[in-house]
Amino acid sequence: MSIRVVKTQSEFEGEISEEIALVQGKDLKAWGAAADLSIVGKRHPRIDGIARVTGRAMYTQDLYLPGMLHVRLLRSPYPRAQVQRIDASRALALPGVRAVLHRFNAPKAPFRGEDTIFREEVRFVGDEVAAVAADREETAAEAVRLIDVDYEVLPFVVDLEEAMDEGAPRIEANGNVSESGKYERGDVTRAFASANTVVEQTYRTSTQLHNSLETHGAVATWDGDELVVHESTQHVFGVRAGLQNALKIPFSSIRVICDYMGGGFGSKGGAGKYTIIAALFARQLGAPVRCILTRDEENVAAGNRSATVQKIRIAAARKRIVAIEHLSWSNSGQGKWVANPPGPTNGLYDIPNVRTRSYRVVTNMGFLASFRAPGYVEGTFALDQSIDELALRIGLDPLELRRKHAGRMTDPQTGKRYSLKRLAQCYDIGATEIGWQHRRPEGLRGSAPHRRRGYGMASQLWGGSGLPPAYATVHLNPDGTVVVRSGTQDIGTGTRTVLAQVVAEELGVTLKDVRVEIGDTNDQYAPISAGSLTVASLTPAVRLAAADARSQLLDVAAGLLEVRASELRVQGGSVISHGRRTPLGEILKQVDNYTVVGKGSRFPNPEDVSLKTFGAHFVQLEVDVRTGEVFVEHVVAVHDIGRVVNPLLAASQVEGGVIQGLGFVLSEERVVDRPTGRVVNGNLEGYKVPTVRDVPKITVRFIDDPDTKANNVGAKGLGEPPIIPLPAAVANAVANAIGVRVRTAPITRARVLEALALRR
Amino acid sequence: MKPFAYARPRALTDALRLAQAGATAMAGGTDLLGLMKDGIVSPERIVDLRDVEALRGWTRAKGKGIRIGALETLAELEASPELAKLLPIVGEALRPAATLQLRMMGTVGGNLLQENRCWYFRDEAYPCWLKGGIRCFAVDGDNRLHAVLGADVCVAVAPSDLAPALIACDATVTLASARGTRTLPLSDLYRVPQGRARRMHGIIPGELITEVRVPENALARRGAFEKAMERKTWSFALVSVAVSVKLIGGVARDARIVLGGVAAVPWRARAAEKLLESRALDEAACQAAADAALDAAEPLKDNGYKVPLARELVRRTLRRLA
Amino acid sequence: MAKAPDFVGPGALDVSFTVNGDGVRVHVPPHRTLLDTLRETLGLTGAKRVCDEGNCGACTVLVDGTPVYSCMTLAVACAGQVIETVEGLASNGELHPVQRAFIDHDAYQCGFCTPGQIMSCVALLRRDPSPSADDVMRAVSGNLCRCGAYPNIVNAALGAAKKRTKR
Repeated sequence: MSIRVVKTQSEFEGEISEEIALVQGKDLKAWGAAADLSIVGKRHPRIDGIARVTGRAMYTQDLYLPGMLHVRLLRSPYPRAQVQRIDASRALALPGVRAVLHRFNAPKAPFRGEDTIFREEVRFVGDEVAAVAADREETAAEAVRLIDVDYEVLPFVVDLEEAMDEGAPRIEANGNVSESGKYERGDVTRAFASANTVVEQTYRTSTQLHNSLETHGAVATWDGDELVVHESTQHVFGVRAGLQNALKIPFSSIRVICDYMGGGFGSKGGAGKYTIIAALFARQLGAPVRCILTRDEENVAAGNRSATVQKIRIAAARKRIVAIEHLSWSNSGQGKWVANPPGPTNGLYDIPNVRTRSYRVVTNMGFLASFRAPGYVEGTFALDQSIDELALRIGLDPLELRRKHAGRMTDPQTGKRYSLKRLAQCYDIGATEIGWQHRRPEGLRGSAPHRRRGYGMASQLWGGSGLPPAYATVHLNPDGTVVVRSGTQDIGTGTRTVLAQVVAEELGVTLKDVRVEIGDTNDQYAPISAGSLTVASLTPAVRLAAADARSQLLDVAAGLLEVRASELRVQGGSVISHGRRTPLGEILKQVDNYTVVGKGSRFPNPEDVSLKTFGAHFVQLEVDVRTGEVFVEHVVAVHDIGRVVNPLLAASQVEGGVIQGLGFVLSEERVVDRPTGRVVNGNLEGYKVPTVRDVPKITVRFIDDPDTKANNVGAKGLGEPPIIPLPAAVANAVANAIGVRVRTAPITRARVLEALALRR
Repeated sequence: MKPFAYARPRALTDALRLAQAGATAMAGGTDLLGLMKDGIVSPERIVDLRDVEALRGWTRAKGKGIRIGALETLAELEASPELAKLLPIVGEALRPAATLQLRMMGTVGGNLLQENRCWYFRDEAYPCWLKGGIRCFAVDGDNRLHAVLGADVCVAVAPSDLAPALIACDATVTLASARGTRTLPLSDLYRVPQGRARRMHGIIPGELITEVRVPENALARRGAFEKAMERKTWSFALVSVAVSVKLIGGVARDARIVLGGVAAVPWRARAAEKLLESRALDEAACQAAADAALDAAEPLKDNGYKVPLARELVRRTLRRLA
Repeated sequence: MAKAPDFVGPGALDVSFTVNGDGVRVHVPPHRTLLDTLRETLGLTGAKRVCDEGNCGACTVLVDGTPVYSCMTLAVACAGQVIETVEGLASNGELHPVQRAFIDHDAYQCGFCTPGQIMSCVALLRRDPSPSADDVMRAVSGNLCRCGAYPNIVNAALGAAKKRTKR
């Protein structure tokens, strides 16, 4: 089959980009709602479960190779300084130390737009200054302390709102604030002028730290002409690109592997400085080199979700929202981009007049990185609170007000019709499950003295359409077993299992006969495991690969059984011909070790429709007005994500998103000491991620209506949707319970008590 | 963590001998190893007490109160149904403390002597006053977790949940060294760091806690404990409150109110205690005591919330006993 | 330990203990943690190094049946003790009921905290074969899961208990 080049537009984390997809043949007709599927759509435990529960799953951190050297990094103690002199002689004199790299001796290695990994001007506490390779990790750590550096300390700013101030030290030539996003529709000025009610408020969100349990890290070996890098990553091909860019070696000399990885949440999108450093040492020293970040390093130099300050002005007339203005500033630290918190404001509700701006603010802090629905969590926290504030002012139930703006089937941003939109149904289900009818505008008495009960909800908008390019092969062994190969990675969502289900379904074999090999750049390209991309990008490709394999298999079988291929089909691992079943293995063994290889590629998304995922979260909680403690009692999460390929794993994803959202809105906050620019809680003691005790009852519901316009499986993404509306829903429920709104996340005891005190 | 020499004696006399010349004693190790990994302390010699059987267990001698060995693990105390009958406040204080693993590892002595959790103290990069440095970084830094009562130069707070509970029960602590033993009220073990004494407790190098005793008359009092955290579990207290009081004919006698997380030491609210003497624990009395307990509070920039929080916890803990 | 106890180290010394039923002897300095000894010396990488200071639970193993943080335990202190790690739970190719239940209940996502969670649950079920949900939460509240698999972890432990009591 010949290859065709198709240009297409794709959405990734709210950004539209042009992609080129290479496709072969024709796409398959989508499995419709009535399709008779026996494996897809069913609850199947993960196919790689045994490796995970026995400790045999190999994570990057678990790789200990003979002769391996260990790297520890010297990081800047200052938020901004000129590195003037480095003397590593004392470090090099320590027995066991093999080499030290720093800006005066390291080879040029371009990294993210800069020509070196060790900057002349370090720009945040934790910026890389030097690296030590030693035969033990503790030796390297000790050597780091023996490196003498002269710094010239420069003026700095670390706080978002301080950096926005005119008088703040300028840390970039064009100023600290730059516009990064802009959107308008309608006539906002006129709409505000003619509105009856206008609510204007400022919302703030804190810096959230990913805290993937496996920190960022790489293990590199260089055997002379091939660099093999094991990395805990969401994108092996991204790491490969980063290594090629830094080291200027051909792809044929680079292999990146990620077998199991211990959580990503967006920050493990490509090569890090630790990757390049490991590779440089491996080349220089001719030994395997391990560079794994510590927890503290992870929390200062491996990304974060930007803190934001957001101003929203929202107007109503005749009990409808007529206009909204949403201005947002994000602390990107030393990041080169910024997420777009007004994204949901632009596209979620059908509001005629919208004006949004997003600004990137640079500071002398570690860079931001994508973090599960970047921008959308923060933006929805502000947007959906402003809607509740407006509803209260105009005397409408907040759900009723949303319904007025959630029903239209066309995308207000593009004017295109949605391929599928079941937001209203999400509202119906959520309202019923939570018992929305019990909600009172003034809140309710709680279950104990001084406790108030409240209900809140919020809506979710996200892309999740998936995108090309994504490629896979399906290998049918002579014994009838199947291996699926693709250069994707499983960040914990169950990628292997979901791919196996689709292949087993299409090919007509049982799930236990399918193995999935992923996480290797020696296989075909798959996109980053982020942006809720994987299922919607890759399952259509593996389905095509399975169909291709089946078609080849039937040709083989037809020849051997001496019938026409059209008279054959595959079911339950057998070829069926006129009612006679022949197991695949019996057929294929006749052709001596021939492996059938089917290929599949992701076709472009249709361009005449808008592909989105929708959802709504409903929350019931209590607040102790004397101690400021929030008790979340029940969360109902309803999502409209097209076909659910595996309800067991999908429910896990939703619960996980809800729990991370609870952390964001109730307890997680990076604390920075402003005078020194140091993160003082960059550990799992001071930075409070949720524990098992912080988890309420969670009810998960899916609409589970296949989106047959989206792709041949009818599935869209689910990674980010379940974190998006939760924080806003909690904030709305808190406000409902206590009659006063906490507009800053996390909603800590301190903030609740302060808000209550201000009211008195 | 820096390398160190290690000894593991069985007999208390051996332990005391080994501990006398600048060695550091280790029980569960859950605090000490953390300090060592963070570079806050770097002992050259460690005496591991885990085999000193004489320091384990707890006993009740009729009329003589309760004796708890310093090496008794927190989990053993928490799980003991007998102790729960005699002195329920101990289990109440331990249940929300740390985690099951840490309570299995951690000991009574170690818990009482654990270092504070101030994030400036725990970060090697800050030459803070308490570590012999120049000044307190928390005073003009982020001090949301710091002291609201009785601070001097240093504004770190006492971290233990067990200490307030035991002090509320008039516990004494026995310290032994190669030179002999001494017994003092547990409350006197703790000091507000001042002047040259940049330490939060008054144990002398070479001394070990051998046991804690709760006197018989404290067993006749009723106790209660409350703790406020930043999440539902596994957090040091923002504020904790331990109360012990004798109720005779519906009126309070001999009340003890001790707060954790608000001062450098477990904070005895003596004015509040006095106020309750011979009064019924009704709403008015409890509220008045709560107000009195925080009367002298001087919150810092970021921890003003601790005042109403502590006040409410005192009121609530007292009301539970009414 | 010698009869007249004195200091050993700071150099490496021989330490013997039992790991997953086998007697082993390692040569480690006193400051080496049990976690690093298991992972680096004995090649048992199931227990994970996540925080390395007792704040996460991913390194949980059993020492004489008790769940402990191996990152806050010195290897030298484990002399003569019985250590169990996740690698030792399955016997003759048969998964431990808790392992089976983790798979059936999808009690993990990325799987990095899973070995620690499982060890905490195994220790619980030995102490208490029919725990309540609250007992399970108490047992695993010292094990963080960043993916948020908590509801399924609790269900898995309860499911494993139910299966065991039925037998």
